[in-house]
Amino acid sequence: MTFFNPTSPLSTRKASVPGAGGLSVRILLSRLALWLAGGVIDARRPEHANAVMEQSRGRAVMVGFMMLVAFSIVAVRLVDVMLLRTPDQTADEADVSAPAVADASASPVVPAPAAWRADITDRNGGILATTISCPSMYADPVAISDPVGTTNRLMQVLPSLDYSTTLARLTAKGRMVWVERHLTPTQRQTIHDLGLPGIDFRDEPCRLYPTGNLASHIVGYTNIDQVGQAGLEKQFDKFLNDGQPVELSLDMRLQHILRRELQANVEQYSAVGGSGIVMDIYTGELLAMVSLPDFDPNERHDPNDEALFNRNTLGRYELGSVFKIFNTALALESGKVKLSDTFDTAGPVRIGRFTIHDFHPVNYWMNVPEIFEKSSNIGSLRMVQVVGRDLQQRFLGRLGMTRPATLELPELANVTAPPRWGEVESWTISYGHGIAVTPLHLVAGVSAMVNGGTLVTPTLLKQTSAVPVGQRIIAQKTSDTVRRLMRLVVTGGAGLADAPGYLVGGKTGTAEKATAGGYAHKALISSFIGAFPITKPRYVVFVMLDEPQGNKSSYGYATGGWVAAPVVSRLVAQMGPLYGLPPESEDDPAVRAALALSVPPTNADTGAHGPQPHQLLPAPDNPDGAQGGATLVSF
Amino acid sequence: MYRHIDSSEPTFSLGLKLRLLNWGLVFLVTLISGIGAALLYSAAGGNLQPWAIRQITRFGIGFVLMLMLAMVDIRVFLRYAYILHGIAIFLLVVVEVKGKIGMGAQRWIDLGVFQLQPSELAKITLVLALARYFHGLTYEQVGKPLVLLPPLAMIFIPVGLVLLQPNLGTATILTLVGGSLMLMSGVRLWKFLIIIVAGVSALPVLWEFMHDYQKQRVYTFLDPERDPLGAGYNIMQSKIAFGSGGLIGQGFMNGSQSQLRFLPEKETDFIFTLLGEEFGLIGTLFVLGLFLLVLIYGFAIALSARMQFSRLVAGGITINIFFYIFINVAMVTGIIPVVGIPMPLVSYGGTAMLTTMIATGILLSVSIHREVKVPRVFSSDSL
Repeated sequence: MTFFNPTSPLSTRKASVPGAGGLSVRILLSRLALWLAGGVIDARRPEHANAVMEQSRGRAVMVGFMMLVAFSIVAVRLVDVMLLRTPDQTADEADVSAPAVADASASPVVPAPAAWRADITDRNGGILATTISCPSMYADPVAISDPVGTTNRLMQVLPSLDYSTTLARLTAKGRMVWVERHLTPTQRQTIHDLGLPGIDFRDEPCRLYPTGNLASHIVGYTNIDQVGQAGLEKQFDKFLNDGQPVELSLDMRLQHILRRELQANVEQYSAVGGSGIVMDIYTGELLAMVSLPDFDPNERHDPNDEALFNRNTLGRYELGSVFKIFNTALALESGKVKLSDTFDTAGPVRIGRFTIHDFHPVNYWMNVPEIFEKSSNIGSLRMVQVVGRDLQQRFLGRLGMTRPATLELPELANVTAPPRWGEVESWTISYGHGIAVTPLHLVAGVSAMVNGGTLVTPTLLKQTSAVPVGQRIIAQKTSDTVRRLMRLVVTGGAGLADAPGYLVGGKTGTAEKATAGGYAHKALISSFIGAFPITKPRYVVFVMLDEPQGNKSSYGYATGGWVAAPVVSRLVAQMGPLYGLPPESEDDPAVRAALALSVPPTNADTGAHGPQPHQLLPAPDNPDGAQGGATLVSF
Repeated sequence: MYRHIDSSEPTFSLGLKLRLLNWGLVFLVTLISGIGAALLYSAAGGNLQPWAIRQITRFGIGFVLMLMLAMVDIRVFLRYAYILHGIAIFLLVVVEVKGKIGMGAQRWIDLGVFQLQPSELAKITLVLALARYFHGLTYEQVGKPLVLLPPLAMIFIPVGLVLLQPNLGTATILTLVGGSLMLMSGVRLWKFLIIIVAGVSALPVLWEFMHDYQKQRVYTFLDPERDPLGAGYNIMQSKIAFGSGGLIGQGFMNGSQSQLRFLPEKETDFIFTLLGEEFGLIGTLFVLGLFLLVLIYGFAIALSARMQFSRLVAGGITINIFFYIFINVAMVTGIIPVVGIPMPLVSYGGTAMLTTMIATGILLSVSIHREVKVPRVFSSDSL
């Protein structure tokens, strides 16, 4: 409480006049400041007796002055920046609607390249998708005095513009309305030269696909705002936007060869579409993958356009006889069937309202290589009768034929497997009916059959490190036998698949398309799946034509061996030298040894499965033929 | 105890305080905030969302807080000045440690609508602490160099902590505010001269120690055109926008740079540019004039205060607001390099709004209690 003694002398009493030593200027200043601040010097007020208070008053005014000076500097600067620096941009020039934007177009304001969506390249660095800067045209409606005239003149340069839409844009509210985005530099210059007021440009990043249709289904496309809509553009949308390039397993050169050859046969046989795949059977890398018809990702598309459909990953087909590769491998791997075992192929076989018969009925006993080469449906189902339904279901399950394929694409279809995998279903599946898979499924499955017997996972990304060996499906020995059997098909009948200097093995497939309630006789899915070099396979090639029409050149046939195999042949003929594969001749003893198939003489007593009564199909007493029941045909 | 302080001064009733409230200053603050909300409405292309509506909410909360602080007796601020500054320094340490541990680099404490940055708090508590310190000094004492050590510590402890964050802009403002307050307290002028001379001569040495990116900023400041797409982009766009504003501007919601989104940060640090583009030189000078009025009010309150503490608090707070405005406008017009300082009450952001409203509240409290006197030496218990 002693602190509040009003009589206690303040130490400032002695220093009632601050700085007697030549600091009178300061006193003057503080007095001046005080006067400016409207203060009244009142010696009677106690604080003026207080030197500290007096000084702080002066100093406060001093600081205030400094701030006033600072404010004045800022104000002068504002005048400088807003009026003096830009004599051509005064508010009077109302017709120069957005002069600042005009500046911006002179030195294009574009984001730094680092922020741009990254490239998609093929395995050799060839660019499939990249980002460039495109001029986009916008309007400042306020500055357009003659919208109708402006619209008409714009439409002379850009005939694709819609008159009413454009006019609406030029008269819209706001100061900035897009008229047309992503123009070419030439279009920009032409419009610029028209000198239309209120029409200006702004550069913005846009996506370019230099290879056009080449890999359209794989690369996909983005919308105008660079958001991935399909294919890898959609799958890796965020990744690409983060500036991370995507390097594909595809080989642009091979992709081009495959597309060109497939396109040729699609046209020659008037097919509605086609599909082709080349895959490395050890790494799973897809070197080429084509689906026809395709599209140009540089253009805008109706999402319902059929050309956007990727047959390789979205198309589900009952692929027919090519499935006999799996059936034969299964029979041999099960140990219940030997190559030399013979089966009764007498037909037709009737099940319910279906009749199964062979295309080239032999109606006799055939061993396994004969069934495979002649593509006997009845022989195949006799084989699976021995193996059993459960084993077949498990085998195809392990091969991935009962679940959706895995690939780095958003467009992946599930398979159509029978809901109830019964005895009858197992028979039809043995020759590739009653189960619908994508071409990708088939390629992956066949790869496992010829690469020594291990599963591979297809991929669209370039594999830079060693790919781990997949799960074993069949023994090395079985795989080797399957490979020799596939060569037998080409030497035996489907010779059109062979290429000069290169030896191909494979299997044809010609299936009738499933339609509502049955199968269409005239609508075929004709395919050929090949492996090469067949002496020591490295690649699997699949070619399929959708609804090919036989013509003179194929003697009216539209089967896989006639319409699809030649595509494989032409592809291999070009791919071999491209990949530096040494040519092979069947005259070479080593090659002959690698392809030889030793089948012991048929012995009905020891190996034949046919004669046993229980192996025969029950003969259903169903006079269905007259009722128009569908026929299952597979060659 | 009141009767001991000043027998002529009656106890302040709430009604009296409301009558003494500086309604002119309250109106000014509200008007400026209203202009800010309108600019945010324009920045969003004619939408209350996402900025204007939240800014208005924050102003409402800040307004109540301001009035509550205005009602607090100035002696309460005097009594708790050191403690408050201590708390601010403690919070600075807390966020520093938390930022280090959490890797999140969070320099703020979340209060829901507002995010409290201890560095902003420190700007106010520094003023309070320094004011209290100098309140207790005689004229002779102020002249002794050793006496200046405690206030230097009060300034440089928080400055050091803020630099660690690192936040060069706030550290600069803290230093400038502290220096200005010492200037007002009567620290001899030759001391400032020595520091300024020493500082200028230290610049070449400092330059050697600067990081490349910091040098880059200086280069860009000196010549924004050398990097028009990178570091100089903001300031180039800002100048273009100002230029397109001209004398009367392009009109509300019609600024091409801002509406076309060429101008980054248009709702925060660069909102003054948007104002310039849409309302022209007249608009910017008008807002600048409003702020000048606020500062004049601040100095008038400082000059009318009858004790050193009140005067220094009012002066310090006014300087604080001044530096915000000056640095922001100088930055967007390219007088000084770009440092992230918002425009008080106008820029979108809770922290700046909260700080300004707290500062104004204390300023109003000084105004109401300008006749209150506390002796140079006093007991805290007596307050």
